[in-house]
Amino acid sequence: MSYSASPLWADIVPLPQDDGPGQPLAAIAYSEKYSEAMSYLRAVMASNEMSERALDLTSDIIALNPAHYTVWLYRVRILLTLKKDLHAELSWMNPVALVHLKNYQIWHHRQTIINALNNPDGETDFISKMFAKDAKNYHVWSYRQWLVKRFSLWDAGELEFTEQMLKEDVRNNSAWNHRWYVVFGRGDEAFADPDIVMREVFFTQQSIRLAPQNPSPWNYLRALARRASGPAALPLSSLQPFANTFAPLSAPDAVKSTHALDLLAEIHSENEADKDKAYQALELLATRYDPIRANYWNYRRATLEGVKTV
Amino acid sequence: MKLQSSNCTMSFDKPKHINYWKRCLKTYLPNAYTSNDSNRMTLAFFTISALDLLSTLDDPATLSDEERASAVAWIYRCQHPNGGFRGFPGTDFGELSNAENAVWDPANVPATYFALMALALLRDDLMSVRKTECLAWLRRMQRPDGSFGETLSLDGAVEGGTDSRFGYCAMGIRWMLRGAVEGPAWGVPDIDVEGLVRVIRNCQTYDGGISELPFHEAHGGFTYCALSVLQFAQRLPSDTAGQKAGDLSDIELTTRWLLSRQVPAVDEEGDDSDSDASNNHSGTAQNPHSAAFDHFYPIPTADVPRPLCIGFNGRTNKLTDTCYTWWIAASLKMLKRLHLLSAEPACAYLLEQTQHRIGGFGKHAGEPPDLYHSYMGLAALALLGHEGIKPIHPSACFSLDGVQWLEGLEWRTKLCAKS
Repeated sequence: MSYSASPLWADIVPLPQDDGPGQPLAAIAYSEKYSEAMSYLRAVMASNEMSERALDLTSDIIALNPAHYTVWLYRVRILLTLKKDLHAELSWMNPVALVHLKNYQIWHHRQTIINALNNPDGETDFISKMFAKDAKNYHVWSYRQWLVKRFSLWDAGELEFTEQMLKEDVRNNSAWNHRWYVVFGRGDEAFADPDIVMREVFFTQQSIRLAPQNPSPWNYLRALARRASGPAALPLSSLQPFANTFAPLSAPDAVKSTHALDLLAEIHSENEADKDKAYQALELLATRYDPIRANYWNYRRATLEGVKTV
Repeated sequence: MKLQSSNCTMSFDKPKHINYWKRCLKTYLPNAYTSNDSNRMTLAFFTISALDLLSTLDDPATLSDEERASAVAWIYRCQHPNGGFRGFPGTDFGELSNAENAVWDPANVPATYFALMALALLRDDLMSVRKTECLAWLRRMQRPDGSFGETLSLDGAVEGGTDSRFGYCAMGIRWMLRGAVEGPAWGVPDIDVEGLVRVIRNCQTYDGGISELPFHEAHGGFTYCALSVLQFAQRLPSDTAGQKAGDLSDIELTTRWLLSRQVPAVDEEGDDSDSDASNNHSGTAQNPHSAAFDHFYPIPTADVPRPLCIGFNGRTNKLTDTCYTWWIAASLKMLKRLHLLSAEPACAYLLEQTQHRIGGFGKHAGEPPDLYHSYMGLAALALLGHEGIKPIHPSACFSLDGVQWLEGLEWRTKLCAKS
């Protein structure tokens, strides 16, 4: 039933949108349903009405325009004013999130509600449902990071969760990023812990063996070498034997990974005696294995020469 | 950059693009844009700026004097009495507006940047912009940690995400209304630029990209916003090879991350990209074990010629999408490293795969055009130097002509001369 025909709304004078006298920009062919709902929303917002019917109206608007930047704030104000059951709010929100996968206001709203409830129970289950639809959804991963920090869930199976996600898809870079967060997001101390760093090196190398051309674990491995420190220090050159197995410079036909070549180029450029090997790796990348980035590999070569002449 | 597009079988169909954008200007946008109703100012900017990039905005056949006046009036109609602009007229209570309901009708940071840009492109002199109120409001939009939000609550709380999109738009507003003036302008102290730069620094990721918040995943759009903030703040490094930037911890790593975004397209059912401006496109989970994935990062051999059409993704191991050609290429341009990118396959991806025969660009190959991807595709070609499109400013995201108009405005020249 339309709002204008509903006895529940009979006392409200709808407030139509005013686009001005001339031809507006970016005018949208609104449905009558949306135009009417928005006119009633303006009317109740204008009088700051905090009511059940206004709450239902915000649901209608969100279904049609979830990016409306104040309807969510208005909804929160109503929920808190009427002291609504926030668990019911979660139940309302879940299907909305599953339909509007790209909307980010809903995750902000979810943070507000979960923060007020002060309890994360059930959240990881819901997140799993979201990941079943899109395992790389940026908003959901961002929300999970917030959840982990807000409720100190660092050691509540989070590392195992990243392992499971990577078991399902070793190329899921969002899962790799989350792993970095879980391991190193609490403070820099982890970079100096040999047990942690070696565990990560082992896990990363195992993953590379599954798919040598997958950039995610290579980026992770190189970052480990860059950041590990103190007793856990991991010199880049220590990764040379591992990289060699995927890009033997003595057998250029057997190269299995451009990322291994890239890493070898960097390792060999650190040592004047091995510069030729660095050139060779960059040459293979530019002309044979990654010609899309030929300009970049040639730039790296030129940088090497620049260093050499110093 | 001189573009060699000799290998392209499809050319840039300029008349079709002009027609696409004229339709956006003169007729109602389809009902599906309802989910973008709150971002109408953004859509308005895309329309005006696209017609400007196509050198047809000044043609009375595109926009008569009367239509131009109407367009300018509509934008000013969205100006908020307390500074800034609304994203659409839908929250305006008209005569019923009062202090109690003002909280539901705020000015919006991105909308304000888009409104100012559209006004400049319409050759308005911005004299009717409430600059003091706008800049004072902009200061209130910054949080103590340096980040910016989207809208302001009545109690002064900054609402909206903390990501760098809002910081980028805030720096754009600052640049437009006060140039590089040090200290107060229009009677208002400057925003905390150092604080914002600090936020950006903390968002650099372990793989060399930049994210929305510390430890979040590197993303092409956020990387663009972050680098644009640094460019507006004049905090980018010189292009000396190997030099570390003061505010970018490792420019070589960032360069590498940006260039790694250029990957072959995959023919695959479903859509897992997250760049869409609209909110009603559902994503579909990918099957990582599908055969298509084996070709995601092909190793070209002598038997496999290098692919001709190669676009960009926004994150590692994601699908290419029209808009990332802009976000990535413009980021490289700001780092003075656009020449390292393979421009010809990048253009071919847009022209042969996502350009639509009715004009505009779709998100992926074969998809119908939408305003967001149509603008980003056009902007990317402009940046890559395609003929028939005006040169574009990488951080401002509109034509150099438009920038020149803005910088030549009398009030702005005087303001900048004083400092």
